[in-house]
Formats: sequence, structure tokens, C-alpha cells
Amino acid sequence: MEPVLSVENLSVRFPGRAGDITVVDDLSFSLEAGRSLVIAGESGSGKSMACQTLLGIAPGSARVTATRIGWRGRDLQKLSQEDWRGVRGAEIAMIFQDPTAALNPLITVEHQIVDAVRAHRRCSRDEARARAVEVLGMAGFPDAAQRMKSYPSELSGGLRQRVAIALALANAPSLIIADEATTNLDVSIQAQIVKLLRELQKKLGMALIFVTHDLGLAAEIGDDLLVMYAGHAVEYGPARGVLADPCHPYTRGLLRSAPTLKSSRDNPLVPIPGQPPQPGSIGGGAPFRSRCPVSVAGVCETARPGWSEAGPGHLVACHRFAQDGRRGLP
Amino acid sequence: MNAAVSTSAGVLEARNIVKTFSVRREGRTREVRAVNDVSVAVAPGEIVGLVGESGCGKTTLSRIMIGIEQPTQGEVRYGGKPVADRADWAALRRSVQYVFQDPFTALCPTMRIGKALAEPLAIHGLCAPSERDGKVARMLEMVGLHPDVARRMPNQLSGGQRQRVNLARALMVEPKILICDEIVSGLDVSVQAQVLQLLLDLKQRLDLSLIFISHDLRVIRYLCDRVLVMYLGEIVEQGETASVFDNPRHDYTRTLLAAIPDHSRALAAMADNA
Repeated sequence: MEPVLSVENLSVRFPGRAGDITVVDDLSFSLEAGRSLVIAGESGSGKSMACQTLLGIAPGSARVTATRIGWRGRDLQKLSQEDWRGVRGAEIAMIFQDPTAALNPLITVEHQIVDAVRAHRRCSRDEARARAVEVLGMAGFPDAAQRMKSYPSELSGGLRQRVAIALALANAPSLIIADEATTNLDVSIQAQIVKLLRELQKKLGMALIFVTHDLGLAAEIGDDLLVMYAGHAVEYGPARGVLADPCHPYTRGLLRSAPTLKSSRDNPLVPIPGQPPQPGSIGGGAPFRSRCPVSVAGVCETARPGWSEAGPGHLVACHRFAQDGRRGLP
Repeated sequence: MNAAVSTSAGVLEARNIVKTFSVRREGRTREVRAVNDVSVAVAPGEIVGLVGESGCGKTTLSRIMIGIEQPTQGEVRYGGKPVADRADWAALRRSVQYVFQDPFTALCPTMRIGKALAEPLAIHGLCAPSERDGKVARMLEMVGLHPDVARRMPNQLSGGQRQRVNLARALMVEPKILICDEIVSGLDVSVQAQVLQLLLDLKQRLDLSLIFISHDLRVIRYLCDRVLVMYLGEIVEQGETASVFDNPRHDYTRTLLAAIPDHSRALAAMADNA
């Protein structure tokens, strides 16, 4: 199947005093319609920045380069501002982490969705209002026709996030990007929202990119999983394959440092030693080398690891894995 | 020292705490019961987990236990005696310290780390001013930071480093009990594991008791000996962590457990389907 989105060699740099600071380095991935991709990584890994470039909303000082950002037969890099307006919010929509900041506090929910619909489609307010009721209903917003007259401040965090989802759905996009969309919510609300996104994505045949730092969520929502570290993709493949058989020392470290419902002190967590590198300090070597327990002396300092295949569609960027396979892993 | 005496001397207890807040909405005043007849006790060396969703009253309860909030009804007892007047509270705060949720707002942005850490020593008059710098340096090392951090400002530190500083500041007065309110929820997973490990290590070395508040049941499961599940201001279930998690009795506990994203469970479910 032809992917709807194919990102090839995407890099994002910011000008710094001592030269450019690279926050996303040579990132490639693709996504088919109706599939979901989880981008997992810790703060500073570049996951949000990568997503922002897909919407053309990276900060103005960012230098975005890519061989190609293919979107339904077009290259997003070549879009004019005018063309972007037809893509952003219509073909590609985003759900942000903080629904309170994403919604306009001064106008009602109804008003915001009607505006979003009419920004992309010539229709009457009544038609747009009907669409608002429809998408709010899809997003599980109760009693939409009445309660959409509320202001965001009158709603709970969970309901606000449902409004943000309805806004994203308003123009029937082909891709929804959810950037830490459940991080601020209570666990039971988070579970509801994740389930809802998954159902909507399957039902409407949308592609979904779900950005999270929680690998537990990755297992529940993703068909594919891309693990990022310090701006680099380090492991990529089917979520199930990657989580059942993680092959990058960083992914393994993350999984071992994250408590699960089965963990106890008898089986201590193993923290990853050290701190993530400062953006721009990686140079040409393996991004994880400074914290890696199995780095290859003389190689990891100088050479960027390429992809090795660890299973069907399961790719790992690690010199140690390339050299010794699974028996070399920590 | 007699073991029985030390046991009762170390216990922090909240008995039948009720806390109501008045809320004005649409011109009418309404009473909201944030905490409704809750009792908690922590024994020496114990880690007690307090878990529940936002608004369930877990933070209010913990703030009452250190006297930041006054209970509407009920009493806080320390070492077997009720904490009644200002002198009692002052004494309690030497033994019970609070670590706040947000490592960014908990530190004064214009105060160097060394000064922030020395302040509790000055407030409680614990040592001669000349000894403070040495104590600060030793404490920074104990929480895994370089003593040079004392010269830094908070904005020069990462979230994980700040949370270590917050822990260090709470430990300066050599408390017996730490109340930790969501102290790892803002941290990245790899840093979170470091801080959890540090907490366990400090507990061992300093013989601390902990009240650990979190909404993340995975962290509670890992860390705590005993857990109390709060819902709408009440404790709906409590017991040993392992038995509560493996055998939840209350529906709400089950709901919470089912809502936790967990890769071990998700993978097990996938394996079952395959």
C-alpha cells in the first residue's frame, strides 16, 4: 500500500552561537492510511519538533531540510503559504498536549468548531453547526447540541481534550497528530481518550501519529513504533515486535527503567546512567554513546550507526547490534 | 534505645480528618468535602503510597499532615501525642519534611542552590553558620549532585537535578519522615528511575519513612509497602501494595488498574491473541 506520509531524511536545525544546533537529525519514516505510529522519546528527543514540521508550524528560526516530505503525492516542503492553509487543519490536524492552551478561552466551543469548519469549507453557519454536533458526538462529548454553548473554562480537562479532538476531526483529516495528548489527563480519562482515538482512527481510516514518552501507551495505541533519542531515530518497527524484542540499548534501558504493574523492589529498576546530551553536542557518532553500556570503542565516537534489520520491518541503529547481534546487547 | 519507645516516637498519624472548602459559584456558596473522615498512619521505615486521581483529596490530606492546611475536623498526631500549638507544629516540621510536586516552582528562582539548602539549617538553628557550607556540600553529594551545584541558580539545572535539590533541601534538617507529592511525575522515565532509586537508597541510609503521593500506580507498585486508594475524599481501599494490586477489592481500584497503560500487560494480551 502506498504510504500517505513519507518523511525522508528530515533534519531540523536552529542557529546557535557556535554553529547550528541540530534537534532532529536525518529522520525517515512512513505511514500508511489507517495505521498508527507512536513516536516515543524523552524530553528533548526532537519528537515534537518533528511533528511540528509536518504541520508547517516549526518556529520561524528553525531550518528544516529534507530530501522529501511526501504527503499524498505532494511534497510538503514545496507548499506555498496559501497551499499550507488547505493542508493544515484540513488534511493534517493536530491535538496538542494542553487543551486549555489550545482552545480559545473567550469563545464558545460551538463557535470554535464552526470557525474551523468554515475556514476550510464554504457552508452556512447552520451546516457548520450540524458538523460541530456531529464531530463532538464522535469525540464522545455528551449532549453536544446543548453543551457546545459552553466556554472552555466551564469544562473539565477530559471534556476539553474531547473538544480538541472534535476540532481536529472537524474537516475529516487524513492524518491526526496527537502530541502528548493524554499526558496531562487522569489515568482513567487517558484510557478513555486513547481508546477513542484508536476507534476513530480505525473507523474513519485515518492515519495517526501519537507522540508520547510513555512506552506503556505505545503498546496500546501503536501499530508501529519509532523510538527517538537526542534527535535521532534509534529503533523503528512494528510496535509489538519492538517492545517484545527491543534491540537498541536505549530502548532496552527505557523499558528497564520504567516501572510496570508487575514491578517490585525485589526486581529493581535499572536507571539509565547519566544525562541526555545537550542538543548539538553529539557530533558525528552514535547519539547514545555517552550513556551506552555496550558502546563499540573507536566506532561509536566517530561513525553514525545505520539501520540494521532485527526482524521483519524492525530496524535498529546501533553499531553493537550490527557487529554482534542480540548477544552483544545489555 | 528501647525499640518500643522509638516505634511510637516515630509515628505520624492523621485521625478522622475532614476538610471542607467553601466554593462560590453563581453567587451561591457551597461546601465541598475535599477529605472526608480519613485516617492515615505511617510507621518508622515504612513507605506508604497515597494514590488517586486529581481532586481526590490526596494532596489536601498530605498538606494537613504537615500543617499547611488546617483540618475542619480531626487531628494530626506525632509520636503518640496530638499536634496542638505552634510549638508542636514547629517541632513536627523538623521531623517531617515535604517535597513539592513541581521542581520548577519549588525553588526560589533568584536564590543560589547553596543558599536554598542552607536556609533550613538557619531556620531551625541546627548548626553554626560556619558549618553550613560543608553540610550543604555533603548533602549534594548524597543526592548524587556535584558540590559545585551549590553555586548555581535553579534555571541552570534540569528538572531531574532540581528534584534532587528539592530532596536535598528537605533532608537538610535530618527528618524522620518525608512527604513526597508527585515528585517523579514531571520527570522523564530514565530520570524518574534514577530518583526512585535515590529515594530507596536514602530511605535505607537515613532510616526514613515516606508518604508517597502519586497517580501513577506503576510507581506506587514499585516503591510502596502499603497503599491507600483515595476516591472523592475517602479511602476506598488500603492494604499491602502487592495484595491490593494483585487482588483489588474495590471497583474503583480495579478501574484505576485497568486504566494504567502497561506494556507488560499489553504484550501479554497480544501473546494471548496470537
